[in-house]
Amino acid sequence: MRINLLGRLLAALLLLWSVPSLASAVSLAEKVQAHRLANGLTLLVVERPGAPVFSAYLTVGVGSVHESDRERGVAHMLEHLMFKGTDTIGTRDFQQERPLLEAIEQTGEALDRLRRGQGGDAVEIAELEERLADLQQRQRQLLITDHLAQIYARHGGVGFNAFTSRDLTSYTISLPANKLELWASLESDRMRNSVLREFYTEREVVREERYRVYDSNPDGLLQESLIAAAFSVHPYRHPIIGWPSDITSLSPAVTRSFMERYYSPVNTIITLVGAVEFEQALTLIETYFGAMEPGTPVPPVTVAEPAPRGEKQVTVEFAAEPRLAVAFRKPTLPSPDDYVFDVLSRLLTRGRTSRLQRVLVQEKRLATSVASYSTPGYRYDNLFVLRVIPRHPHTVGEVQEALYAELEKLIREPVSPEELERVRNRLRVDHLRSLQRNAGLARMLSFYQSIAGDWRYLVDYEEQIAAVTAEDIQRVAAEYLIPRNRTVAILQKEEN
Amino acid sequence: MMRTIALVLLLLSTLLPACATRPPLEPPVIPESQPLVFSVPQVERRTLDNGMRIYLHPEHELPLITISLMIGAGSIGETESPAGLVDLYAASLRGGGAGLLTPEELDQELERLAANFSVSGNTYAVNGTLSLHRDDLEAGLALLAEVLRQPRFDSRRIALYRGQLQERVRRQNDHPRTVARRKLLRALYGDHPLGQAATIASLDAVSRDDLLAFHRRYAQPNNLWLAISGDFDPQAMMLRLDEHLGNWPLRPFEPQLIPPLTGPPEPVVVAVDKPIPQTTVLFGQRAIDKDNPDLYALRVMNFILGGGGFNSRLMQEVRSNRGLAYSVYSSLQVGRHLPGWFIAGTETRTGTVDEVVELMREEMRRMTEEKVSEEELMIARDSLLNSFVFAFEDPHKVVSQAMRLDFYRYEEDYLQRYRERVAAVTAEDVLDVARRYLLWDRQVIVLVGDQSSEAGAAARYGLPVAGLSEE
Repeated sequence: MRINLLGRLLAALLLLWSVPSLASAVSLAEKVQAHRLANGLTLLVVERPGAPVFSAYLTVGVGSVHESDRERGVAHMLEHLMFKGTDTIGTRDFQQERPLLEAIEQTGEALDRLRRGQGGDAVEIAELEERLADLQQRQRQLLITDHLAQIYARHGGVGFNAFTSRDLTSYTISLPANKLELWASLESDRMRNSVLREFYTEREVVREERYRVYDSNPDGLLQESLIAAAFSVHPYRHPIIGWPSDITSLSPAVTRSFMERYYSPVNTIITLVGAVEFEQALTLIETYFGAMEPGTPVPPVTVAEPAPRGEKQVTVEFAAEPRLAVAFRKPTLPSPDDYVFDVLSRLLTRGRTSRLQRVLVQEKRLATSVASYSTPGYRYDNLFVLRVIPRHPHTVGEVQEALYAELEKLIREPVSPEELERVRNRLRVDHLRSLQRNAGLARMLSFYQSIAGDWRYLVDYEEQIAAVTAEDIQRVAAEYLIPRNRTVAILQKEEN
Repeated sequence: MMRTIALVLLLLSTLLPACATRPPLEPPVIPESQPLVFSVPQVERRTLDNGMRIYLHPEHELPLITISLMIGAGSIGETESPAGLVDLYAASLRGGGAGLLTPEELDQELERLAANFSVSGNTYAVNGTLSLHRDDLEAGLALLAEVLRQPRFDSRRIALYRGQLQERVRRQNDHPRTVARRKLLRALYGDHPLGQAATIASLDAVSRDDLLAFHRRYAQPNNLWLAISGDFDPQAMMLRLDEHLGNWPLRPFEPQLIPPLTGPPEPVVVAVDKPIPQTTVLFGQRAIDKDNPDLYALRVMNFILGGGGFNSRLMQEVRSNRGLAYSVYSSLQVGRHLPGWFIAGTETRTGTVDEVVELMREEMRRMTEEKVSEEELMIARDSLLNSFVFAFEDPHKVVSQAMRLDFYRYEEDYLQRYRERVAAVTAEDVLDVARRYLLWDRQVIVLVGDQSSEAGAAARYGLPVAGLSEE
């Protein structure tokens, strides 16, 4: 088995060495092995040499963009609760625990109704709070707190985590090579039998998370405000975590319903990268996940953002030095224009010779840093964002003026062949770098499989980038990088 | 053979909707796994004739090469020179031009190669990383040699980087966690370089001559360390390194003096007012250096207390059981040459700060009074032992780690013996080190958040509240 593995890798490496351009894409195409189970679950495997470890991503193609207005924040809330165990993990005796769980849910929901002002008084609220605390205390006696984390830790797991984006939710861990079956066993149990226990405590954790990431953090707050202003109706406008009142409105029933609707094989991608053998992995995944019912696909979002009618501006007051974010609406992949934006992003802000680094940071010294990226998701048309940190005593206004002058230059003058070649080369080598780590590669493959519907999107990527011309850049700049298509967000201290 | 964990097989009723639509299931099996066979990877250690230390670890999967470098001098020397000198030196070495190349030309050359090159300073060293495509190795090495041997320290670039570092000082209060960290180190180490932060004035005081002098003193071949991983042949690499760096003449140099710490810090509460809904809470004290034999017991102690993520008491009590925080942890920063620090930290909303402070203190006190359970000890040890293999997941980390261990003069068999030393730690050892090191009621406490309800308090949590100096 080991010899066959080495043989395959050697073939992949030889290919890598003999084809200088597009080498990475070719080798990636050689290395990824894919299989779809009868129930719709997709498995991607990359066997790699190196340390006897692997990274596993279990991705469900549902994120906050798929939430209705009455359940905003639920995708992320559910992600938290998926760490609370199942009917056999995290509990000493589920039969004893179950009546307590039900009582906690009933009490919690009654309490939420009262707090929202639907009848009841302070005394009644206090009584229910006391009752809830008592029930939670009794339940805790039956729990094995953070049991799943404990099992993984004892078996050498690192990076046991998860993240929710607007587009999808991924559950991640890296383990020693001999723990693949353990992973399959625990994760299939988690997918089928999760018990969303400790809901009301975890809801408080999520409130703290919101305080930490947005309400006490100037960068998070600016990002949230920018996106909310840029979209008028598309659900991309809402923060993944939810607005404060969304979080306190979430209930166990809503969360469970979301899980049952979407956490199923047709929406699931498993990506394994590292010291893994494909055939063995496939057998294990079939064994542990194969018997599950397919479920129904996540329905696409039908809300469409209307065409822009002029520049939008938003000011955020926060106790921090000023900072600026400018967003332009743009189409998402696989639109050809999306590739052009990838080139544009490098051209403007990647590396010290990029245009905005040179002009804003080095020559005019108006700013200390510039960055650009696409946000807030990729399933639907999104935003190209430029962020700038002004340098005292220069103002946000001065920065804006210089920034817009550079964007106008893109419309006016074609990019030189040398500059374009430099950017393409940068994209090529950066792409190789992105393949270095097991977890990074697993993340990338899961992402494209889920968003683009096929990880092979990556294989064509370099060709598409190589085909971008100076005229494409000029055309895209003229079409999108214009005031009407723009949202500007400025964070500054409260004016006295 | 399969071994199931001791959990009762349950038949599920339809009462709980989460389970109602699903068939009754068996508890997940915890499969018996084959033992993991692996050994600490060997790294090639070489030395050029002029004393430059070279660490090589070829790895041919991708056509990339990564080079880490260390110059053996850092901000620990900023007793006689202004705070921020090493940061400005690192930035200006990277970006100030080299040999015949102006700063702009150097940037263009590196960008033509799509190279990533960064240099930064820390307490004991200036660290650099250069990432290259294999085909650009020759050009990249030539540029690196120019930067190290003939940096230009272009005045305009120095002014540029000085301005950027000063803007960073202006923004140092934007994020509550960075404020808390700075205030804590200040309280723990005072005027010692470990406690100092650059100011606008201290950065103004660094001259170009200071940077040149630092470079002349410390950027010497026998004070320079390189660790290289990736797609190369070691023999060919040594020839190339010898060609670019081997004729750099050996010069005697004096290593930086490490100033001793001043007296122990006063246990105080440092409260910083910031109009935000959540308060950053940090507990801190001085701890140990790497040569302390209690290191392993302390690592296990820290894992159980707050270093083990969801497997730690702080996380379970503050977050999982009470929902009082999203992030809560403790961290043991083992000093390389001087005692490092122990920190416990969290963020919680204004109204629950007192509750969280008491809770965290109580968990620390408990560590010093009761033995940890055998189960906790087992989780911590198993986790530390079984995840050890991840220290070798990244080929570049393998080689740069070998270099750093030698640079900081760790025992030769540190990695080889790490597992047996962790495995030997007992519950008694954990209690013993907690008693001797964990000063749960004499730590510095830093609070950054809304202080309006405690304005003017002279004492909190049984400690004096320190007056605030504006920084």
